[in-house]
Amino acid sequence: MVLKWMAAVGAANKEMRTILRGRLSRHKGPHLLLTLFFALLTCRCAAQADPASFSDFSSRATAAREANNVPGAIELYQQALKLNSQWSDGWWFLGSLQYGTGAYDAGKDALSHYLEIIPNAAPALAMRGLCEFEIAEYEKSLGDIQRALALGAANQPRNEKILRYHEALLLTRTGRFEDALRSYAFFTHDAADSNPELLLAIGLAGLRTALLPKELKTDQQEVYLSAGRAAFDFMEGDKETARAEFQKLFQHVPPVPNAHYLYGYLLYASDPDAAVVAFKNELQLDPSNSAAEVMLAWIPLLTNDGSTALPYARKAVAQDPTLPSSQLVLGRALTEIGDPKAGIEYLEKTAQLQPDNLEVHLALAKAYSKSGRKEDARRERLLCLEMTKNDTAPGAHP
Amino acid sequence: MLAPRSGAQGKTESACVSCHRARSETQPQTPMGRALALPGANPVLRDIPKLTVRKGPYNYTVETHGGESTYSVSDGTRTISIPIHWNFGAGAQTWVLERNGRRYESAVSYYPSIPGLDFTTGDEDLKPNSLEDAIGREIGTPETKVCFGCHASNAVREGKITLDTLRPGVTCEHCHAGTTTHLADSINGDFESAPPDLRKRTAEDISNFCGQCHRSWDTVVRNHWRGELTVRFQPYRLANSKCFDGADPRISCIACHDPHVDVVRQDSSYDAKCLACHSPSAATLPGSSNSSSAPLTHATVCPTGKSECVSCHMPKVKLPNGHLTFTDHQIRIVKRDMPFPN
Repeated sequence: MVLKWMAAVGAANKEMRTILRGRLSRHKGPHLLLTLFFALLTCRCAAQADPASFSDFSSRATAAREANNVPGAIELYQQALKLNSQWSDGWWFLGSLQYGTGAYDAGKDALSHYLEIIPNAAPALAMRGLCEFEIAEYEKSLGDIQRALALGAANQPRNEKILRYHEALLLTRTGRFEDALRSYAFFTHDAADSNPELLLAIGLAGLRTALLPKELKTDQQEVYLSAGRAAFDFMEGDKETARAEFQKLFQHVPPVPNAHYLYGYLLYASDPDAAVVAFKNELQLDPSNSAAEVMLAWIPLLTNDGSTALPYARKAVAQDPTLPSSQLVLGRALTEIGDPKAGIEYLEKTAQLQPDNLEVHLALAKAYSKSGRKEDARRERLLCLEMTKNDTAPGAHP
Repeated sequence: MLAPRSGAQGKTESACVSCHRARSETQPQTPMGRALALPGANPVLRDIPKLTVRKGPYNYTVETHGGESTYSVSDGTRTISIPIHWNFGAGAQTWVLERNGRRYESAVSYYPSIPGLDFTTGDEDLKPNSLEDAIGREIGTPETKVCFGCHASNAVREGKITLDTLRPGVTCEHCHAGTTTHLADSINGDFESAPPDLRKRTAEDISNFCGQCHRSWDTVVRNHWRGELTVRFQPYRLANSKCFDGADPRISCIACHDPHVDVVRQDSSYDAKCLACHSPSAATLPGSSNSSSAPLTHATVCPTGKSECVSCHMPKVKLPNGHLTFTDHQIRIVKRDMPFPN
């Protein structure tokens, strides 16, 4: 489905590519130094390679790129890089040109070479992530895009929208639905973003469906669109409209899996009692929904009520032992009821599965502390402080 | 809008006093016992019938006549006046205001150190765009629950705000859940249902228990609160101390503080608490009677002194607005010109 917002993303993608490419050309100072460095390097390598050839190829590649002769520039960059594989600018321009022509596999390789030379270059990580997205290497793409975001790739509003949108798509595609919803919340600050493409994507995350919008069959789109619209309105703050939209969704025949779950998930921070009702409604429709069991455990854990949480947590682990959040809630519930040693077993397993989950480390700090493992507790606390030092979005999520 | 009932502000918990006389008599007089004042029971506003301050283009006035107080904000042409129903705090005071179905934390608060009005701590950077905005920071239902849940008793039941059953301040049942059953049973000579003894909890548990209002370590980290304002959150600061051991009762909140009496301000009175760990004979001190499985150990002995430990190791920190001073519970070796540790 070719949609307005996707077109905007496409335009923005082009714009970002321009911005990312421009980043290098604007920073003349470092590039002069780099050029000088490579000039020295090629002089030293004169005995092994013809310096005139590298110089010739590189300058012709630049000229071709500036003349917008993309196929010619790609060919010349490849020739130059055969002679000098340490030419970082060459890899960057080659990768970005290949990305621009849709040669995502080749673009990924070129950007990987660039990142071997300059490992923490946020624009290159971002662009490699976008290449990986296009060739369906979703886990790698997510890793690169998140690292790029952490390194400041979202320094311009356009870049930020593109990267956060892709991050949310990837979180959904890799089954991290709640994280995806939190990423989509970024787009609800601007009602202008509420286009069908985005609503469909939010619907997929909300209804816990690990697909990209383009992978969804046309006859399934309506229900995801409705769920996405209700979630968007809720996150935007229009809770009354959202409530009515959810009520309509609940009437759908056959029942929409995870619709009550989504409503409960959106509600739990502001109205935990209503959220509990929603999660229980979900369990009535699908008693094997372990995500709903996790949330029914999580809500009492917000007030350190381990006893209420424990039966739900045990059921969640029994139903889906591989779900990290089920291990987390059971570990926390056991800690809260006074059995931190048993809790630690589950929490340590969760930490291996989700090393970046703040809640796991908060829970471990408490469990270690309660069981007298002072140094381990301190280590976890310092880790939590480190993890949150640049973070600005508060909240408690399993 | 719910106007509060006039309650038994500051009076002894009559049902508990027959058995727990000493604590029941002193606790209502503590700042926790007086954490919320109802109209007519606010000594600050009774003694200072008119408070005013100008903040930017707005004039704020708090006036009291015959036990009824009114909070007003004016831009010179228009004035909004709201009756004060909820007075939060026993020393410094902030008001939760209700207008047109919305609740606000007052933009200005009373500080005894001035003494007078200034911006409410934490709200200094608010930039009101209208007279309505200038009333204060609007607070939603979850935050309102937290405000009343901590400053009053019986204000939140089963997750809902129940201001009609509210009792101002922290009363016995606020901390000791199950007092009603215990009272009924004890009349019949059954003491089995007595609320759990909080002293038997681990230091970590007590920190989280007190942290429900004073802010636990988890709460502060989750909310990304950093900087000097966190000095107000003692459980968070304490847990950041190198010496904090969640299984050692000697570092628990109630090892140093009895919540049934006013906080002791004399530095030397805490020496014995510090020396329970920081002395060569610490391992054999009374802490050994604890029920924790963790062994008690003694910590480094201070080479400089053995008295008024807290005066060096728990410095007093003035909040950026200059009106409130707190003892930093992050116990440490403080070095000159060292920045506030986060």
